Amino acid sequence: MSLIHVKDLSKHFKILNRREGLGGAFRDLFSGDFRTVEAVAGISFDIDAGEIVGYIGPNGAGKSTTIKMMTGILKPSGGLIEINGLVPYENRIRQAQIMGVVFGQRTQLWWDLPVIESFKILKEIYKVDQKTFDEHMDMFNELVGLKELYSQQVRTLSLGQRMLCDITASFLHNPQIVFLDEPTIGLDISVKAKMRTIIKELNRTRNTTIILTTHDLGDVEALCNRIIIIDKGKILYDGDIKKVNALFGAYRTLKLQIDQFNETTLQTLNDKLTEKFGTDHGITISENEESWTDVTIDQARTPLSEVLNHLMTNFTVMDVRIVEISMENVVRKVYDGALT
Amino acid sequence: MRGYLAVMRGSFMVSVVYRFGFLFTILGNIIYLSVAFFLWKSIYRSSDTIRGLTFNETFIYVGLGSAIFILLKTYVDWILNFEIREGAIASYLIKPIDFGLYTLFASFGSLLMNLAAITIPTLIMLIFVFKVEFVLGPGLIIFPLSLFMAFLVSFYIDYFVGLLGFHSESVWGLSTVKEIIVTVFSGALIPLHFFPEALQKVLLWLPFQAIYHTPLMMITRPDQSWNIFLPMLFVQIFWVVILFIATRLFYNQAIKVLRISGG
Amino acid sequence: MRSIGEYLRLYFMIEAQYIKGRMQYRADFIISSIGMFFSSLATLGIFWVIFESVPDLAGWSLMEMVFIYAFYMIAISPMQILFDHAWQLRFHIQQGTFLKYYFRPLNMMFYYMSEIFDLKGLTQLAVGIVLLVYASLQLNLDWTLIRIALLFITLFSAALVQISIVVIASCASFWVLDSYPVLGLAWKLREFSPYPMTIFDGAFRFAFTFIIPIGFVSFYPSQLFLRPQDVSSLIYFSPVIGIGLFALTYWVWTKGVNSYTGTGS
Repeated sequence: MSLIHVKDLSKHFKILNRREGLGGAFRDLFSGDFRTVEAVAGISFDIDAGEIVGYIGPNGAGKSTTIKMMTGILKPSGGLIEINGLVPYENRIRQAQIMGVVFGQRTQLWWDLPVIESFKILKEIYKVDQKTFDEHMDMFNELVGLKELYSQQVRTLSLGQRMLCDITASFLHNPQIVFLDEPTIGLDISVKAKMRTIIKELNRTRNTTIILTTHDLGDVEALCNRIIIIDKGKILYDGDIKKVNALFGAYRTLKLQIDQFNETTLQTLNDKLTEKFGTDHGITISENEESWTDVTIDQARTPLSEVLNHLMTNFTVMDVRIVEISMENVVRKVYDGALT
Repeated sequence: MRGYLAVMRGSFMVSVVYRFGFLFTILGNIIYLSVAFFLWKSIYRSSDTIRGLTFNETFIYVGLGSAIFILLKTYVDWILNFEIREGAIASYLIKPIDFGLYTLFASFGSLLMNLAAITIPTLIMLIFVFKVEFVLGPGLIIFPLSLFMAFLVSFYIDYFVGLLGFHSESVWGLSTVKEIIVTVFSGALIPLHFFPEALQKVLLWLPFQAIYHTPLMMITRPDQSWNIFLPMLFVQIFWVVILFIATRLFYNQAIKVLRISGG
Repeated sequence: MRSIGEYLRLYFMIEAQYIKGRMQYRADFIISSIGMFFSSLATLGIFWVIFESVPDLAGWSLMEMVFIYAFYMIAISPMQILFDHAWQLRFHIQQGTFLKYYFRPLNMMFYYMSEIFDLKGLTQLAVGIVLLVYASLQLNLDWTLIRIALLFITLFSAALVQISIVVIASCASFWVLDSYPVLGLAWKLREFSPYPMTIFDGAFRFAFTFIIPIGFVSFYPSQLFLRPQDVSSLIYFSPVIGIGLFALTYWVWTKGVNSYTGTGS
């Protein structure tokens, strides 16, 4: 039997439509105009013990809502979740004992206390015995070198240090499942690397199931062996990371700032590229904010360097950046049938 | 100027969003008025006039006081302190606006909202439910102006305490001490006439009486004359000017500290 | 399930650390205590001003009023000290930081309220105790053992009533965006509890006795010690009212916690 069983899960919210302007604000005072939003619209999956699953999708896709239902905060509007055969919403305290959660940048440690005191309180809350506690602390110290932070107040830690402490804390009671929601957001590369090391190591040595939601495709590539892509409350893809990996790996986006950008520029760009690379060039062009143009290139079909060269000779390019494909673009590609 | 008006409109609209709250504030006022009514009724049980005031005069003073109470509470000290602590203050410093004026106009927005949603209903209640009669005379004409001055005095005291947040983390303590001093010494709770003579004399030299006592006197005093009211108005204006200058100086100094030590 | 003993132990552990942490902000502690001290004395000042003009308030003397007020001060301290986090509930809910309280295998009200132990409330408690002793001495009250036991029981019940009123009001933020006026109203009502309920006429006295029972925070129980001969038998129900109201509060809190959806997607 699988550890997490989700079947036809859905959740909808009622939202008040606010009217614009002064008059609208006044009318809202007396009457409400509600609409229903389907945050999660019927999803099903099973997760086994020891898996690391990347649960990804663009903003507002329904990721957090799913996680909130799995952690027992939200009651589903329809469908079923079972963790270890129990419904999280009905068994919050028991479920909390076997779960660890890190929610974005909001710390769950005690703001005014030194780090080690927060850990000691958690030890009591989760009834961790002294021996296990010492072993844990030693292990984390070895992995990430937390010892020097022990005596510092949580509020004085940097974001990266705090997130490391939070992640460490979430594993303290040896949970079966850990939910990590955007654990690397806003962190610098070295802390990100540390974070990934601990997560991998813990999954390996303790067979902890990890569910990771993130915008950072680097996290997904480094950690997950399975990925679930969700958009508009529905699952777009659920399967092996390798297929998707090819997708992130092959695509790069050139961000260009072109001199004298106007309405016809996009068209001209497209014409020039078709002229050079033929119609099957695998390049998509879209306008980004404030005269930046995104040129997304499938490197399997057209080498990035040639595209760049060609553009530089034909346009006055003032600035160039090369970025990995974004979450939004991955989702767009999946919609376009890239995985089927 | 157009920018500041936009700020005012914005804060007005923000307060409209809180539709549910008004009902409770009005309900709170009804309960407060009723409790005050019974309390003063029982105080007046033993004699018809106390300190030269009849029950009716006292109740008009206290009742009107509660109607304008919500107007004159700006909460600027709490708001400012929150922004200082969260570091949001820096985002104002980089905008091409005067921070003091910005804050003032934001308070105007909620002032207007409170006037429409709370003060006017409370006044209507006072007139029709509690049968309170106003003294007709020049006081009624000068009252709105005096009320506005009272708002400015209250605003600048709150603003000053808010700016203390640059120097101290003890927001709760400072604001609480201020709140008590203002409510007691402004006449918001008990008409100043009830205070011992000596204390009344001292209070006349402090800015707090300009907040409730002065405007309330304008409409409750039986002897209505310009010769009494104009000097009272000038005292209010005097305090507005003094507090305006003091907060300016204090702000400039606080900003200097901020610029040097970082927010 | 955890036993009460376990929760108590955990509570002491958390608060001991919390107080240690707060002690680093000594200036804040001192200024807040001064603020609390002043706000405790403000009402007393009002009594003094009123009694400068009249000999009694609905038949109660100044010293009797001081006793009632002292009882009130002690009765509201547990709320101030142990349940002060209720004030911040709406911020946590608006900003989504309330989520974290779901993730621990603990009773949520316990976990939430344990996060703040309000030190300045101790000033209030101290002022209340000093005033109560002072007023009893002035009034020559006769403290038998039974009376002392009654004092503790009635204080406990009164504290529960006060805690319930504030916590229920704060729970409004689970359902409405702008819950502050609800809490503000509850706070304002609190200020009426040290006045003799006998000054109010029928409807109000009924409401303050049975609907929002602020009469039980101070006036009714104080009568038991000031004028035991003409006390209404209602007062013997005060533990029932205290515990019943707290149970209702806990039910509302649980409803709120279950209906909360968190902000964002």
